[in-house]
Amino acid sequence: MLIIGVDTGGTFTDFIWKDGDQWGEYKLLSTPANPAEAVLAGIQHVAADRSYTLVHGSTVATNAILEKRGALTALVTNQKFEDVIEIARQNRGELYNFFYRKNPPLIPRELRFGLPGRVNQAGEIIEELTEADIETLLGPLTAAQVESIAVSFLFSFTNPEHERKVRKVLSRLKIPISLSHETLSEFREYERTSTTVINAYVSPKMGRYLTYLSERIGEQPFRIMQSNGGSISAETAMRESVRTILSGPAGGAVGAFEMGKIAGFPRLITFDMGGTSTDVALIDQTLPLTMESSIADYPVKVPMIDIHTVGAGGGSIATIDLGGSLKVGPESAGADPGPICYGKGTEITVTDANLFLGRLIPDHFLGGAMTLEHSTLNQHFETLAAQLKLTPTELAEGVLNVANTTMERAIKVISVERGFDPREFTLFSFGGAGGLHAAYLARDLNMTEVFIPCNPGILSATGMLMSDVIKDYSQTVMLGENEIVVETLELHFNPLENRGQEDLLEEGVAAERIELERYLDMRYQGQSYEIMVPFSADFREQFHLLHEKTYGYCNREKNIEVVNVRLRALGKPEKPEFPKLPFVGEKLVAEALLDERDVVFDGVSEQTRIISREKLQHGNLFNGPAILIEYSSTIVIPPFAAARVDEFGNIILTIN
Amino acid sequence: MNVNPILMQVFKNRFAAIAEEMGVTLNRTAFSPNIKERRDFSCAIFDQAGDMIAQAAHIPVHLGSMPLSVKAAIDTCSMQDGDMVMLNNPFQGGTHLPDITLVAPVYTGEAEPSFYVANRAHHSDVGGMTAGSMPLSTSIYQEGVIIPPLKIVENGEIDRKLMDFFLTNVRTPLEREGDFSAQIMANLTGAQRSRELIEKYGLEMVNLYARSLNDYSEKVTRSAIAMIPDGEYEFEDFMDSDGVGQEKIKIAVRLEIEGDEALLHFSGCAPQVRGSINAVYAITLSAILYVFRSLVKEDIPTNAGCLRPLKVVTHKGSIVDANFPAAVAGGNVETSQRIVDVVLGALAKALPKIVPAAGQGTMNNITIGGMDKRTGHPFTYYETLAGGVGGTAYNHGESAVHSHMTNTLNTPIEALEYSYPFQVTEYSIRKNSGGKGRFNGGDGLVREIRLLADAEVTVLSERRMLPPYGLFGGEPGKVGNNLIYQDSQKQQMPGKFSERLKEGDIVRIETPGGGGYGTTPQPEKK
Repeated sequence: MLIIGVDTGGTFTDFIWKDGDQWGEYKLLSTPANPAEAVLAGIQHVAADRSYTLVHGSTVATNAILEKRGALTALVTNQKFEDVIEIARQNRGELYNFFYRKNPPLIPRELRFGLPGRVNQAGEIIEELTEADIETLLGPLTAAQVESIAVSFLFSFTNPEHERKVRKVLSRLKIPISLSHETLSEFREYERTSTTVINAYVSPKMGRYLTYLSERIGEQPFRIMQSNGGSISAETAMRESVRTILSGPAGGAVGAFEMGKIAGFPRLITFDMGGTSTDVALIDQTLPLTMESSIADYPVKVPMIDIHTVGAGGGSIATIDLGGSLKVGPESAGADPGPICYGKGTEITVTDANLFLGRLIPDHFLGGAMTLEHSTLNQHFETLAAQLKLTPTELAEGVLNVANTTMERAIKVISVERGFDPREFTLFSFGGAGGLHAAYLARDLNMTEVFIPCNPGILSATGMLMSDVIKDYSQTVMLGENEIVVETLELHFNPLENRGQEDLLEEGVAAERIELERYLDMRYQGQSYEIMVPFSADFREQFHLLHEKTYGYCNREKNIEVVNVRLRALGKPEKPEFPKLPFVGEKLVAEALLDERDVVFDGVSEQTRIISREKLQHGNLFNGPAILIEYSSTIVIPPFAAARVDEFGNIILTIN
Repeated sequence: MNVNPILMQVFKNRFAAIAEEMGVTLNRTAFSPNIKERRDFSCAIFDQAGDMIAQAAHIPVHLGSMPLSVKAAIDTCSMQDGDMVMLNNPFQGGTHLPDITLVAPVYTGEAEPSFYVANRAHHSDVGGMTAGSMPLSTSIYQEGVIIPPLKIVENGEIDRKLMDFFLTNVRTPLEREGDFSAQIMANLTGAQRSRELIEKYGLEMVNLYARSLNDYSEKVTRSAIAMIPDGEYEFEDFMDSDGVGQEKIKIAVRLEIEGDEALLHFSGCAPQVRGSINAVYAITLSAILYVFRSLVKEDIPTNAGCLRPLKVVTHKGSIVDANFPAAVAGGNVETSQRIVDVVLGALAKALPKIVPAAGQGTMNNITIGGMDKRTGHPFTYYETLAGGVGGTAYNHGESAVHSHMTNTLNTPIEALEYSYPFQVTEYSIRKNSGGKGRFNGGDGLVREIRLLADAEVTVLSERRMLPPYGLFGGEPGKVGNNLIYQDSQKQQMPGKFSERLKEGDIVRIETPGGGGYGTTPQPEKK
């Protein structure tokens, strides 16, 4: 059976496919105007006449929000609370900026409609909502030509009657309607409403895109990647589009997690350095989830893989600030004009510094498809270096040093600041620029190993191929100490489990491959934040222990609360196996050595081997300094590192 | 050793990371919602002399006052390795009593500490006449426990006698103790990271760059001041009242710019008052530092260097430099906003394109305390409400957002109704409350709460009489409004009040709009 993973995240649309023991990859320039074109062309190339299953990571929903080009959407909510999504949490994003403006809400005031109907925290109706009330909206909604509707009432998760009534009446308009208690059945009205609004805003666009694709691929099974690291059917993705936001980076994390597990590295810090930004995530035996994500400042509270992003990448620009110190980023030269060495740029970037030091090899960049312009580089480095009273080489190493400091800090945010010691983890490096910096970053963080997977350029598509079918469900229950008994919890879990079971069968998962995981969101009474605890016989003790690990203390005397019950329904497909390479031995074949040249490391120029990665074999072992070339990336092995190749073709660096 | 521009950037990052990690630790391990949810705290690292090297961007009102706390601790207690000093005395480096500062020395094998780390957190009760310790008081003795600089940790051990004495005097001792351990953890983290930095680079180099970063911030701040045309600029504005008397209270500044230095005279300010809105000197300094820090576009460490080009002159015993035993609970939250308003008002004359019209100029502090029939337990709710921001030369002011000296979050309605016997009956933007102009001021907001139990309601708010000013022809923002509905009788309330209300009564707070900027364009006539 042929399975194809497609990732439309970047400049290229990446394909990875597997058919029995056969594997392959394929890259195609993306077609941003209609991403489906590249997807269809690639499928044609890979599958020809064969039948297949498609797993697709799409940025349609993400881009609709970032570019503010979603559907014209209306919000129906309680009257006198129409502004909740505009007030947000009442704080400002920048402390010292007189000109600060919030990102305006996706739905403007004139499209936010208030209705009577109030429910309290116990689910009691304290103000009625009639169908006649709702019918008053039919005229204005039709006149405004809205394409989608979000409905969010206070405490709808305790009693959804009013939201359902609204859908019943407004379904006459024959446009998509998102109800908050279905999108996210949890308390905190701003975050729930925001999540529902985003769903309503992106669903029509996603629906059109997926319908277009479905019509053209016909009867082939078709799954969509979600930001929680699992996939869902295209039909579900059209209704629950908010769950696909940020699915590209999630694919990368899943790829790293699965690859690491197979190769014997279950504890990873992933490091995905691209042109303008760097994503990092911490994987401790399991994929990290967060309910605190946001996109363009709008909160999205559905579970997502916990990925931290900083504005430092290969295109980050080096400048001198007003105080005379060297600054690198967050401004980026992007793809246009790009770094100086791409031919058009005029400001020194991180990529230029790598080239200047000899770490990027001009003839081998992107397999030689793109030549790097070296001629004007010296002059630019001399000019900026003179202003800083440095030598050009000191400047180039300084640019890398400053950029590394930013990335080091990003890694500390997800490790040290959350109670994890990075020294116990392996740095898993992928993305175009990761290999140039990973060894230095590991040294700065006292990490001893760097893992560079085979095919690092298509890790995200690999992750999609390896992903489970996952559906997440939650329900706010707000149980006090005396109400927390197992029977009550079971009562709350039952409806979620029934839904999970039914939905997964509908997704085409075989009953014996369905797993249901139960969790509780718990806190001490009086706290305003929750910890997710797996539901087990000793969940109370587990909560105290997890609280201690996360927050540094616990108190077994104190009353606890169960805020939400959560269910994760997983459909575990048979995971494709990675082909193993035969063991050859330590010594590199002669053809692997492409060249020798001088490269600067810590201020010293050293004779350095240039090695072709595709010629490496299982068991190869060699010391730095060396530079490994492959199609989409370059790996710098400094003098303080040694490399070995494992049975899957992954490279593991040991840092001394 | 020469200063290297690359290492400068590296150290800037590393010092900032230490202060930020302290903040994360404090936030992570704190117990009370006020610290965890509203994030009312600050962390910083100091050199041997007690000069601030870097502070994490937390709460602006703590900016200028942290260094004074650290200096007070250094001056009064000789701190050995493993000691920590706590204090909250507003007349000895503090601001108001709920803000408790914890200072720790960092020893690295020398006879004297190489560095200090400190953090300050707003504790939601420190005793005094009302729950929440933000009363309409007339003397500091009514506001809670006053703590001079005292060693709360000695040789790594908490002084139990002292801690028990403190905890006996507050309403929520368990929560206080939890927050204290978080403050201790934050300092331990900061000290550990400082020692790691010294291990990596050596004390001499770390000291060199600590000093250089102060010079660096000074240089950038000076270059921002140098952009201001030389001259004298004056401005005055008023507080509505002190909540005891009816008189408005003057705050005035004369700003002298000469080259890259600024001199701020506050000699025209009213004398200190009976009510609780007196500001101690540290608050005034914080407000000024906030304004000048906002003029700087660069991402500089907020440190002692930022202060060097600024000279501040106040009269002891005035509203901006109150003497013991003045009541100060509200000076921190309300008067600090007005000090910003007058400094900006003066600067607007020199930098019309950069300075915004007045923001809401208050934090609208609301405290509700009583007995929750549902649980049988007493409750205390405290919150501040956002309002309008002033218009600028280029854009309308933002609506319903906190301005200037605070940036705390709201409490979600559904969280509120789960935790307290309230029903929120309105939460909306107060349309058309921003002053009109070429660019309008932002609108305030409306928060209306029906009480489902008898309760005492205390409101400490400003800009109920005198509106936030507009600039260059822009209209002022609308003043705020406090209302109570009892048996459907509407009752207009003053800006500061404390009232016992019955179940079913409604409290409605309408917060001020921001001032408009520039004259409103006239519609073209045909």
